[in-house]
Amino acid sequence: MTAPISVELARTGPAARLTLGGTWTLQAAAQIQAALPARPDEGITRLAIDTGAIPTMDTTGALLLARWLRPLARHGAEIAFVAGNPAHHALVRRVDLAERKPLARPRAPVLIQLARRVGHATYSSAAAARDLLEFFGLVTVTLAGAIAHPGRLRGRAIVAHVERIGLHALPILGLLSFLIGVVLAYQGADQLRTYGAEIFTVNLLGVSILRELGGLMTAILVAGRSGSAFTAEMGTMKVNEEVDAMRTMGLDPVEVLVLPRLLAMILTLPLLTLYANLMALAGGAVMVVLALDISLAQFLAQLGEAVHVSTFWVGMAKAPVFALLIGLVGCYEGLQVSGSAESVGRRTTRSVVESIFLVIVADAGFSILFAQMGL
Amino acid sequence: MSGDTPIIRLRGIQTRFGMQTIHDGLDLDVRRGEVLGVVGGSGTGKSVLLRTIIGLKRPEGGSIEIFGQPFPETRAAARAVQSRWGVLFQNGALFSALTVAQNVRVPFLEHTRLDHKLVGELIRVKIELAGLPPEAGAKYPSELSGGMRKRAALARALALDPDILFLDEPTAGLDPISAAAFDGLIRDLQRALGLTVVIVTHDLDTLVTITDRIAVLVDKRIIVAPLGDHLENPHPWIRSYFHGPRGRAARHEP
Repeated sequence: MTAPISVELARTGPAARLTLGGTWTLQAAAQIQAALPARPDEGITRLAIDTGAIPTMDTTGALLLARWLRPLARHGAEIAFVAGNPAHHALVRRVDLAERKPLARPRAPVLIQLARRVGHATYSSAAAARDLLEFFGLVTVTLAGAIAHPGRLRGRAIVAHVERIGLHALPILGLLSFLIGVVLAYQGADQLRTYGAEIFTVNLLGVSILRELGGLMTAILVAGRSGSAFTAEMGTMKVNEEVDAMRTMGLDPVEVLVLPRLLAMILTLPLLTLYANLMALAGGAVMVVLALDISLAQFLAQLGEAVHVSTFWVGMAKAPVFALLIGLVGCYEGLQVSGSAESVGRRTTRSVVESIFLVIVADAGFSILFAQMGL
Repeated sequence: MSGDTPIIRLRGIQTRFGMQTIHDGLDLDVRRGEVLGVVGGSGTGKSVLLRTIIGLKRPEGGSIEIFGQPFPETRAAARAVQSRWGVLFQNGALFSALTVAQNVRVPFLEHTRLDHKLVGELIRVKIELAGLPPEAGAKYPSELSGGMRKRAALARALALDPDILFLDEPTAGLDPISAAAFDGLIRDLQRALGLTVVIVTHDLDTLVTITDRIAVLVDKRIIVAPLGDHLENPHPWIRSYFHGPRGRAARHEP
């Protein structure tokens, strides 16, 4: 199927005849490049090309020939095909035409590019913060409208989302919290033993879990599990034009899609936090009873000493705020999806990163607030 | 390979999804250098047939020969076959993280060892051949219109000068002017490069203007004939397809 490449250049004064043979295809590119003389002699003013012995030629072969002919053409030499398949000749002319147009790719200097990127990133973060705030306003107004007409609150959708956010998260959240309790108790006991104060492991557990860790771990897990799901679901609907379809039917996407998710999140996250607190304390208790010389009764008594009701409520009060942040960011990013499926992935990643970031910032804010309140 | 051996030869192809049989004893020969249109009602398995030929789906029965040989089992041999065909997927299937020029470069990187400069020039040639302006090479697929994306995908499919070009609904979603231009482009390239083209399409204008033969999927099999013979066929689906108002309009009949 493949014939060996042959190139023969016969000079007679200023005229020359180029006789070519073989299969001029992509597979033979290396042989063609080797067979062609490095540069055509510039003294040639008339060149006759015979491609009669070429059975097949593809664009690569044609381009290699056209490239080789280019210096001659530039010197104004007359080039003519005298024998061979006219389709091949047309191909050589066609690819050469394509060649002359330069590929435009404007490039700014590196420093300017850098400044441009920094400026762009700054502006877009500020714009995103403003848009999120605006979205919060929109959701609040819609919620107020829905509360005024409770028929517009979609009870079934809320229950379905509570099931997915809450019930389905119980196994993984329980396991995670239990293990956190175990680890915390183990590490605490190890350090406090140096002072002979193992019993204060219980204080460490009670305060840190109830005030901080239970709520924070739950929020982070739910942001990764359900916040991302909000973005992905709504983003897919956006790509499918389902959201546009809703609008044209007079349905408000914020009311239909965002409110049920957000309300379900606000209802569910405090309950999950309570559950996580209990599981983490259970994990800590198991560790304390097994590893230290403390009985369960002692554990409970010490926990009662260490923890006040206010400690519990300080932790629980944060949960609805975290839920609001996760739900808002998840839904906002979902509705920001535009165009392609690729955008869904990008927005989902952003949603998780942003909501975890905001949860931690809010947690820091709460610490300052509670410190000021003397709690 | 003699001119008489079909470039693609399917015998007794059976494909099933669960209990549902899509093709049952389907035979098809694609001749070297022809433009073959594949049509059929929704759900008759046009795209499945295409995916079966290019090895994305294994048939439950039957044999497929490409370039006179069964589809190779080893990866290296399969790659050799894959470098000799180009596929244009329905939505282009351009790699969204790469620019158009980088998309066209992918087959070169995978299958050839040419020097960088030559590949760069070849990429420009392919982009021009596909009817795109040169500056399109630096753009990302998301920055292109639907028609331009199809052309970019065509440039990638043509990268390695394939012997066979598979097109899945190439004109779907294009306006009639772009669709006609795309048809003309396929015809020109087919003539200039001596391609064998298999087109899955619903576009009757495409069928009438550029195909040599038409394969109709009916009753889980295929009937291949030139347009004129299909017009005579008494099968009810084929009759209503080619003699319906759209079919008549495409053939410029009242």
